[in-house]
Amino acid sequence: MKTPIRLAILGCGAITRSEHIPAVTAHPSVELIALVDAELSRAQGLIRNRSLSCQAVADYHEILGQVDAVINALPNHLHFIGNQECLNAGLHVLCEKPLAITAADSRASTELAEQKKLVLAVGMNRRFAASHPLLKLILEDGLLGTVRDYDFQYGGAFDWRSASGFYFDRAKAGGGALMDFGVHMLDSVLDWFGPVSWFDYQDDDWGSGIEANMLLDVKHKGRFGEIAGHLQVSRTFSLKNRLLVGGSAASAEISTQDLEVVVIHRPLAGVPVSQTMQFEDFPGAKSYYRQLDNFVTSIVNGTKPEVDGWQAVRTLELVENCYAHKRRIAEPWSEIEMTENEARA
Amino acid sequence: MNWRAQTIFVTGATGFIGGRVCERLFQAGVPKVRALVHSMHRAARIARLPVELCSGDLMNRESLRSALGDAGIVIHCGLGPAASIVRGTENMLAVAHAAGVERFIHISTAAVCGITPPPGSEREDAPLRRTGDAYCDNKAATEKVVLDYGRRGLPVVILRPSIVWGPYSAWNTRLMDDLRAGHVAFIEGGRGACNTTYVDNLIDAMVLGLENDAALNQAFFVTDGERVTWGDFIHAHMAIVKPTPEVGEVSREEIEASRGKAPGLLIGSMKATARVARSKEFRQMLMEVPVTEAAMKKAWTWLNSLPSEKRERLRARLGVRRPVAQAAQPKFIPDPVTVATQSATVFFSIEKARKLIGYKPRIHFADGMRLVEHWMRFAGYV
Repeated sequence: MKTPIRLAILGCGAITRSEHIPAVTAHPSVELIALVDAELSRAQGLIRNRSLSCQAVADYHEILGQVDAVINALPNHLHFIGNQECLNAGLHVLCEKPLAITAADSRASTELAEQKKLVLAVGMNRRFAASHPLLKLILEDGLLGTVRDYDFQYGGAFDWRSASGFYFDRAKAGGGALMDFGVHMLDSVLDWFGPVSWFDYQDDDWGSGIEANMLLDVKHKGRFGEIAGHLQVSRTFSLKNRLLVGGSAASAEISTQDLEVVVIHRPLAGVPVSQTMQFEDFPGAKSYYRQLDNFVTSIVNGTKPEVDGWQAVRTLELVENCYAHKRRIAEPWSEIEMTENEARA
Repeated sequence: MNWRAQTIFVTGATGFIGGRVCERLFQAGVPKVRALVHSMHRAARIARLPVELCSGDLMNRESLRSALGDAGIVIHCGLGPAASIVRGTENMLAVAHAAGVERFIHISTAAVCGITPPPGSEREDAPLRRTGDAYCDNKAATEKVVLDYGRRGLPVVILRPSIVWGPYSAWNTRLMDDLRAGHVAFIEGGRGACNTTYVDNLIDAMVLGLENDAALNQAFFVTDGERVTWGDFIHAHMAIVKPTPEVGEVSREEIEASRGKAPGLLIGSMKATARVARSKEFRQMLMEVPVTEAAMKKAWTWLNSLPSEKRERLRARLGVRRPVAQAAQPKFIPDPVTVATQSATVFFSIEKARKLIGYKPRIHFADGMRLVEHWMRFAGYV
């Protein structure tokens, strides 16, 4: 396909504003044709504020014939229908995570893209931070010795100012902390450590389907053998916000404060030391730009994107399994004995 | 009244007290709870409950009418900025009155008597005087408006908790942070009256306020009914911090002497401006401006690209981090609000609540601390 790729962004919420527009406008092989938002004034406002020279439209059906590709950044429940309609119109799609709110819908979109010979890439920007491929190399190199386990935590007071506020509606979001941020973590660990052979999942959903906290213990059986993992996500308080992979010779740490490096901790003549590792030559651009660049390269060269639909299906199958077999996190501080008045209720 | 069958409307539902109210109402099997939410992104704790999240603003009556819906009971924990406390509550009262609400529980505060309540303010019949503190005076003025609506026929109950503590309470989490930072001192031996109100004890009082008509048009102090001092409160938290922090003693003379050394208008203003510029809230507001957002992100990327040593040096110069090598710290002197809070001598009486509505604190201080510790372990504070 010829460049520039003519592109539209569906949905003008927080992620489009903060990440997709800067990436798209910086990319030399992409021409932004339209911003689409059901609330037209939101798209118009962004075009005005960022001095963009593209159209604002309220309904993406209006521009399907004018573009080669779309970034689907609609609320989660609209990802599937948006993907299907764009793929059926012959457009390549970069869809924000999750690809759909069910594994079945993700599978359907992935199969449709294959059938139509179109690129369907999934927005997992963390894969495009340098630390992701760097840890892969570290694991392959055997620097950590026998890899035994990992601890992966991400948490803070929830502060995602989505334009539509869909994230607290189960039907629109598909879940809470696991579906929102957990999919990033699962996507990464499945890519690093291989398939999950066992899991135990707990969350603090009290009936809305929107958990604020989740705990997941897993066992991977992949090319590095059996690895035990512990994952924790919180929308209510800060956690350590890092991945720590433990091996017989050393451990590797990736902090969310700096996703471009991996810190190796190991003993040197018995004394614990740490060493920061980074690529000598790695594109300095942000992960969202690298993600877009990978999408464009896949379209132009007809290659598979770094994160394709099948990888999203694998992640969403695990998410669905977790929700299907979940246990409630014990909260003894919440479950105090009721008063007589309440008990009567 | 059969409050259990009613739809209950909770304001301030994304806050610490309102959030726990929603949880308790759900646990009690109340079929429908509507939660007033001003900032939707702050609703993660209550979004896990099957409550209706209703967008609205205490300063906008139309939004309150729509959010209130068919609710027959209002539990008003909402606050907003100090300057809006009276108006916001007045709006909620007006909307509730017009809708024929059957009970309005107003969560006031014992601070209506001042941050350092004067002797003689142990009981509810002590007159409220202006204190000069915006929060205290506005909360006191709000009580008058609530009672005025009570006289006009809205069934109102006023509860005055003091130091409301428990899981998620900033009184607990801030103290843990301060202990770790070395920013805690026993003021005058820690003898000050702490007047703790465990959050579930407060909610028990709310339930009693719904159950008992004797509560109507009355204000009640609600505490744990124990003579817990600030020294007790601090010691209980020190016991769960590892390694055990060192906390020094500070006398009134030392506090007064340190105030003499307070920076002048110019230096004080410059330091305060720098603090504001570095604050999370200010940064968040700046990020609302697209051009600033882009500039801040560039600056952040640049900062992160520097070698860590250089980065820390720069941060230290900007005052973000203290330099590694530093002269011995002077004795820690708490800020004036903390000094005023922890210098209280009055233990509020809960006799009126005991007699009129049968209030009996269920969670004792030691039990509450065990629950807090459990939660703190889960939340990573310990």
